[in-house]
Amino acid sequence: MAAQPAPGVPRLEVVGVTKTLGGHLALQDVSFAAHEREFVAVLGPSGAGKTTLFRCMTGLLAPDRGEVRVSGERIDEWHLHARRHIAVVFQQYNLVDRLSALDNVLAGRLGYVPAWRGLARRFERSDRLLALECLDRVGLLQRALQRADTLSGGQQQRVAIARALAQRPDVIVADEPVASLDPTIGAGILELLRAIRNEGVSVVCSLHQVHFARQFADRIVGLSHGRVVGDAPAAAFDGAAERELYGSASPM
Amino acid sequence: MTAAQAALAQLESGHHPLAWPRARLWLVVATIVVFYAVSWKLAGIDLGRLVTGLPKLAHWIATAWPPKTDELPLFLLRTAETVAMAAIGTTLAVLLAIPMAILASRNITPFPRLYYPVRWFLNALRGIDSFVFALLFVASVGLGPFAGVLGIALHTWGSAAKFFADHIENANLGPFEAVRTTGASRLVAIGYALVPDVLPVFASTSLFWWEFNVRASTVLGVVGAGGIGQELKNSMDLLDFARLFTIIAIVLVVVTVLDQFSGWLRRKLV
Repeated sequence: MAAQPAPGVPRLEVVGVTKTLGGHLALQDVSFAAHEREFVAVLGPSGAGKTTLFRCMTGLLAPDRGEVRVSGERIDEWHLHARRHIAVVFQQYNLVDRLSALDNVLAGRLGYVPAWRGLARRFERSDRLLALECLDRVGLLQRALQRADTLSGGQQQRVAIARALAQRPDVIVADEPVASLDPTIGAGILELLRAIRNEGVSVVCSLHQVHFARQFADRIVGLSHGRVVGDAPAAAFDGAAERELYGSASPM
Repeated sequence: MTAAQAALAQLESGHHPLAWPRARLWLVVATIVVFYAVSWKLAGIDLGRLVTGLPKLAHWIATAWPPKTDELPLFLLRTAETVAMAAIGTTLAVLLAIPMAILASRNITPFPRLYYPVRWFLNALRGIDSFVFALLFVASVGLGPFAGVLGIALHTWGSAAKFFADHIENANLGPFEAVRTTGASRLVAIGYALVPDVLPVFASTSLFWWEFNVRASTVLGVVGAGGIGQELKNSMDLLDFARLFTIIAIVLVVVTVLDQFSGWLRRKLV
């Protein structure tokens, strides 16, 4: 779906990212990569630094050291165009409540169109068609003109995924995308993300539920105390690995 | 004794009627009493004068009937002038307020260094009443409604920008961040994610200010800044109470109609 980057270059690379927040070392030399057609789950106990890591990956926070590359291109505050190749799905969906589902999906095109088009919300026909295709992909074409705040939580998350797809990204980064949804609907969302990664978009997704990670991910990266403590195929992440990851958290 | 019972006992032991809290209570009461006593003195309250003055007022009201309708076209024109002054002044203020509100919102300002200077500037505008601004502008741009428009615009600019900024600071920034991550610039993200969120509230408060400024600007005529207030002052100077009360009646009707209209429009917006 996205412009094909050079083969062999990881879709997403996190290289030695270190970040201190309020005097507390939140991330310590974190490195991992997501390759083409790969669904990587990031697991870790609360406070392990998952949210900080995801904010660094999406350019919402600047790392103190290290860098994040998307298809070899560096992401930061000053390279807006690189940002459009990495799409973000949030736990709280973060749709603009008062806009239609379609307008929310069209936001995914803002990195490509001139500013006046974005401000006037006047997109070219090809962009509108793409947005409708993305809505169709998540099964919500019928809801295109419905206001976002009238949709259910699961539907809103689907619109958010359609917005991500409209960016034609190399990688979709999802920060706890199912934490606010019931298990059945959450599984549907992960199913959708897994299908999308078959279409050539890599997915990096943080999760709370280990069984979801085992069921949907290709690879599991364990994060604890701001460090990567495991990086293995999902099949190899057994009960012992789980106990090790969550057991290594400091007692509450 | 369980741990919970012990905790309760400890809480209760703190409730002994101690001397210090009681003394503090009396101190607060005394302060309040002194405050009102001084205020009473400073405000020059003299109930005797009210008793002698009231009959005078009653007499004026008695002479106010029948209302003077021969000058009605002039009164209506002046009232329209007041409404127009308020409309132009408020619109000007709201347009100027939007960029200032962005600078005065800690969470989205592109120039955090300007945050406090902008806030101080807005507080200064807010602190000076449109009446005072109008006085200054009558002296500089001359008599007439234009001075009133400038007075209204400056004062409302400060109030509107501060209100908008406080609203933006409390807005949910999730959608804004989400749009930022698509590669949109800050300005586009504000326009796309934040404006639809805050616009209904902004529009509704702008209507409220217009309505408020119509009421407030009836007095602007007193300093020569145009509108119906001018005629109000003329009538008072001539002790022409029929004329005076006719004008007050017109103002009441217009303000009430505008109140209802803007209230209806605001309910539709939010």
